[in-house]
Amino acid sequence: MNARQHFGRAAEAAAARYLQARGWTLLGRNVRIGRGELDLIVRRGDVLAFVEVKARRSGSCGTPEDAVDGRKRRQVARLAELWLAARPWALRGVSDVRFDVVAVDAIGDHPQVRHLPGAFTLDG
Amino acid sequence: MLARVASEALSGLQGHPVWVEADVVAAAPTFNVVGLPDAAVQESRERVRAAIVNSGFEFPSRRITVNLAPADLRKEGPSFDLPIALAFLLATGQMRDGTDGRGLLAAVGELGLDGSLRPVAGALAVAQSLRARGVRGLLLPAGNAGEAALVSGLEVYPAGSLAEAARQVETGGCGAAPPADLEALLCETPPGEADFADIAGQATVKRALEVAVAGAHNVLMQGPPGAGKTMLARRLPGIMPPLMPREAVEITRIHSVAGLLPPGVPLVVRRPFRAPHHSISSPGLVGGGGTPRPGEVSLAHLGVLFLDEFPEYRLSALEGLRQPLEDGEVTISRRLQSVTYPARLMLVAAMNPCPCGFAGDGRRECSCEGYRLRQYRSRLSGPLLDRIDLRLDVPRVPPRERREAGRAESSSAVRERVVAARRRQQERFAGTGVYANAHMTTRQLRRFCQLDAEAVSRLDRAYDRLRLSARAADRVVKVARTIADLDGAEHIRAGHVAESLSFRGLQEELNG
Repeated sequence: MNARQHFGRAAEAAAARYLQARGWTLLGRNVRIGRGELDLIVRRGDVLAFVEVKARRSGSCGTPEDAVDGRKRRQVARLAELWLAARPWALRGVSDVRFDVVAVDAIGDHPQVRHLPGAFTLDG
Repeated sequence: MLARVASEALSGLQGHPVWVEADVVAAAPTFNVVGLPDAAVQESRERVRAAIVNSGFEFPSRRITVNLAPADLRKEGPSFDLPIALAFLLATGQMRDGTDGRGLLAAVGELGLDGSLRPVAGALAVAQSLRARGVRGLLLPAGNAGEAALVSGLEVYPAGSLAEAARQVETGGCGAAPPADLEALLCETPPGEADFADIAGQATVKRALEVAVAGAHNVLMQGPPGAGKTMLARRLPGIMPPLMPREAVEITRIHSVAGLLPPGVPLVVRRPFRAPHHSISSPGLVGGGGTPRPGEVSLAHLGVLFLDEFPEYRLSALEGLRQPLEDGEVTISRRLQSVTYPARLMLVAAMNPCPCGFAGDGRRECSCEGYRLRQYRSRLSGPLLDRIDLRLDVPRVPPRERREAGRAESSSAVRERVVAARRRQQERFAGTGVYANAHMTTRQLRRFCQLDAEAVSRLDRAYDRLRLSARAADRVVKVARTIADLDGAEHIRAGHVAESLSFRGLQEELNG
């Protein structure tokens, strides 16, 4: 694992801790489907969320959420549909399904975590 | 959960019922509209989403599928925003349907991002179509309420915003707009600005135009620039018979579908005067487009279509005039649909005597070469000219004459005579579908246009001397019939024929 991957994993761990502290249950982490990967799958009450974690070490290249571009959105959405298709029971008791982005700003010593619920949908 | 709301799609002036169905399920979030929607309907997703959130409702993260049924009918325009939003609110349980047991409530309306409701085109045609189908009520933007209220027997529920519309549905419709009083709307109409009294001199031309309007004859005016052709034409709607309520509704329906009804105006109360520039395309003049929209001929329905610089129009546009002038309506056929718009208009064409405009003026030399002159005039085809009963020379009025001309007759005085002449024609043609002399069939011509002996000999002499064609002679008789009607005469007399012959102006030149 190289330094960049290491940084990514650390950010995912920070995001998972952040969500769990707010009552979310972790259903999956780094779930590999084919050649793709879903960062976090979480649930709280009747909401199921697929979370894309984006981390940045500096502010010079825009905000982390900007980095989730159309291609990435379509990829996450497709993987989520595949994941759901294989587990119909995962929707039991669920009313809302969301695609969230958790942004981790690792500038300085204290990483800032921001949660953007419903950051995107299947149609962009 | 599944919910559905009734709406209406227009193809031309014809309404078709559309069911807007919304299905909301827990799945990866998406918002799809299916059922042959065009680009504007696809975009309604974004407007609906914003309007819902900004009206204080929730937009849950679920899979939302909206279906516009029947799926084989093309849905166009933004008028489905409101029914889509309402079906969505019902399907997500954010609104209760209070219209149960009170019959159907259909909805149309465009949403703004802030949840406000914007007026849509064609509300009157939608209301009429719903009424004909027995739908009880129509929920629509407040800006359209006036025109929809013209339809009696349909409850009209206006709403200024999505929130208000939702309240209307929850309460099963409350606060219906009062039905409009058509007669009152028409009676309150102030007389037009332009009056015949404004025009000094030109007595012969004015008389000819009075005859034209009295018999609904089409007119071609020829005269040098500045002679007053446009001024005269603009004053024609003012001497036409006052609009009947039914006619005003017909005109309003077309203008509403074309999106030309000004905000806050429920009814077109004056006869239209349309004067498209000569660069107009054929679809612009007769109607057309992917989804056929009314052209100028339909916008001039029951009014005047004024074509200045007549020979300068595109040939395709001019030839397209023949069908509406003949049938009183236009049928526009496209790949997916065929649409018919009414087009019962009075054509008033104007042209210069030659391309430079000074032929026969006497005061200035005409600089046109012979072939240019022939080319200019040959642009008007025989079949088109056949539909123009009166051809008038409009001379320039010298300033001296204009000063000396007394106070001319007002439009309302002329109109009274026109109305009387039209009444005689209506009695004559009662039950035949024809309403004015210009539209007489050959058989009706033989039956209703009885000339006295002197008139017959007058016509026969003209026939030989002017080498009239049979058709031209018929036209002379038709116009003479109108002149006799203005005169209150049962039979056509020699004087009527003589005056009719004087209105032939440039006819011979043009017909070669």
